[in-house]
Amino acid sequence: MLGRGVKRKWSCLADLEAEALPAEKQKNGEEGPGDEGGFHVAPSESDMSHLQQRQLVLGLCLEKLQHYQAGVELSLRRSVLLINTLRQIQEDMQSDGVETCTSETLLNDVNADSCLLRDDVREDMPVTCPGCSEGDGDDLPLSPPLSPEFPSQEANSSADQPRSLPPATISSFSDAVNAMGYLSDLALDDIFEDIDTSMYETSDLPSAWAAGSLWPISVSLWADEDVKMRPSSHASAGSLQSCLMDLNELDHIMEILVKS
Amino acid sequence: MEEESDTRKINNSFLRDHNYATEADIISTVEFNSSGELLATGDKGGRVVVFQREQESKSQPQRRGEYNVYSTFQSHEPEFDYLKSLEIEEKINKIKWLPQQHAAYFLLSTNDKTVKLWKISERDKRPEGYNLKDEDGRIRNPLTITSLRVPVLQPMDLMVEATARRVFSNAHTYHINSISVNSDLQTFISTDDLRVNLWNLEITDRSFNIVDIKPANMEELTEVITSAEFHPQQCHTFAYSSSKGSIRLCDMRQAALCDKHCKYSPLADHRAILQASAEQEGGEGWGCEEEEVEKDFEEPEDPSTRSFFSEIISSISDVKFSHNGRYLMTRDYLTVKVWDLQMENKPLETYQVHDYLRGKLCSLYENDCIFDKFECVWNGSDSVIMTGSYNNFFRMFDRNTKRDVTLEASRENSKPRAILKPRKVCVGGKRRKDEISVDSLDFSKKILHTTWHPHENIIAVAATNNLYIFQDKVN
Repeated sequence: MLGRGVKRKWSCLADLEAEALPAEKQKNGEEGPGDEGGFHVAPSESDMSHLQQRQLVLGLCLEKLQHYQAGVELSLRRSVLLINTLRQIQEDMQSDGVETCTSETLLNDVNADSCLLRDDVREDMPVTCPGCSEGDGDDLPLSPPLSPEFPSQEANSSADQPRSLPPATISSFSDAVNAMGYLSDLALDDIFEDIDTSMYETSDLPSAWAAGSLWPISVSLWADEDVKMRPSSHASAGSLQSCLMDLNELDHIMEILVKS
Repeated sequence: MEEESDTRKINNSFLRDHNYATEADIISTVEFNSSGELLATGDKGGRVVVFQREQESKSQPQRRGEYNVYSTFQSHEPEFDYLKSLEIEEKINKIKWLPQQHAAYFLLSTNDKTVKLWKISERDKRPEGYNLKDEDGRIRNPLTITSLRVPVLQPMDLMVEATARRVFSNAHTYHINSISVNSDLQTFISTDDLRVNLWNLEITDRSFNIVDIKPANMEELTEVITSAEFHPQQCHTFAYSSSKGSIRLCDMRQAALCDKHCKYSPLADHRAILQASAEQEGGEGWGCEEEEVEKDFEEPEDPSTRSFFSEIISSISDVKFSHNGRYLMTRDYLTVKVWDLQMENKPLETYQVHDYLRGKLCSLYENDCIFDKFECVWNGSDSVIMTGSYNNFFRMFDRNTKRDVTLEASRENSKPRAILKPRKVCVGGKRRKDEISVDSLDFSKKILHTTWHPHENIIAVAATNNLYIFQDKVN
């Protein structure tokens, strides 16, 4: 994280502001950032629009949540703060409702995993990733089950069917959860008792699942035994719906993976 | 035994002669003891280095009590949690001294999981003249002994030894962020993200959980405990701060479990916990006049300043009672606040530490600096408060005159015994000669840990792996 003399590229900010504020950077250029080997902050960000900032923060948030060092326990405080920020963005997006589907710039620079953050959206509003947006106009409801979306053209067929996550995301999430160790004080028996192990016999499963990881079902970051389907009406129970997958979806995802 | 020399020598007044910087040397905590005679530092490598103040000598009055290395020991070692396949860092998170009662010194040091009580004692005599072994320690042949003698204590070179007297472990699932010794000198609390545990210093296999904010369903977790401290005089009162910017003042006499779910339960019997005297009725013996009630200290949020980072920057990184026990100081990302214990709805005073960063929160979020936890500290008379910032800057606020100053802890900018020059950050527009612009601040140089001598104007500031000790100007 601390660049040793390497100039950090504030790529996100730079991209956003490249068009907007070229002059600003010149002004502050006399003591350029990154000169002394420490790291510095980018010049003024106040002119970033709310949407742009939200998009940026969303991407960063997910990136931070997914990035972890194997073998080192994550800070619970940090994770809680990140998740809360994610929730806040989610609520903000919800309240923004109408604008989201029209704005193409929204998710441009955010990595595909940000698609996870979709739920509680009203039925008439297909919030989709840029990849999905073409030809998905009439492909609607995110109505139950709540599901993450993914720019996959094949999964267009049925509106009810959840999109699949990229396999890499699934395993990295579960690995991340393992590393977080939130479940350390739970009896391991409780965790395993309602897991249906029949699905783990598929050889295509990412290894993390098959290893009987602590968090096999849900990709919620610290949830425990909750593997049941969540109807959308419970969405606002305060839990991070966007990261949950239930058993049925998992089945479906496996089908898609096997096909592709 | 030869004296262990610490490679981290310090120039007492203002500079450090430290030439290399390994990660293990990063100082993670600093603390003066209650007399100010000793200064302890803990580092990322699990070591504790204790400095002792030299006795003032008449022959060299200008060397007014410099601090020299007194003892160095390895407090914690890295461990491996086999169940979770995770390493437990040996980094010392906090050190707290016990007030000195005898010749030896005692301190508590903690890493993420284990608290240890260390005894630091001096040995300056040793017995000589054993009968059964000679001076080298070799056993003598008893047949060669023709006469007996009584061993005599002879002076020897001063040896300082540190021994672990207690190990308090296996009580924390999450990472310990603070420890605090009770004014009763018999108990202490250790705090992790979700729980506060009360220990008796003599008993290591049992602790009492007095705060537990873990929700039944971890998915509903939205808040963690960030720090906790005992009241300096009232041994039944402690405060803990949260990641949402609130502080709760708790009274252990009210309930066995001091959290929001058991706020007003009937009195629990704490005699087993507190081995203090039985004069608990009406708070006698504790200097408390009125009945304590649990209080929540929180300032209502200003909706106009709400952003995606509002919660993160409101997260309290440190909470400290004033020495007189009337105030509470909290540090969040951008401000330091002083609270009157009698007034929970808003702070008495708010000081801006580095408000120029408010417009940079997005960048600071990206580089993770927004999660930095700065400590704050009172001076002995509670008239000045101090906290750290970036670029090796630290700030002092005089509560009476309302004046503040920014100083820098760096070798380049200070010469021995020179007065520190106040620094200024320029926020925009024209930058004056000595000012530094916000964009040039080095965010890898952060002063997270500072401590103030209990009686005098001597401060110790940890700048990554360097320790700076600053004193008031000597006339």
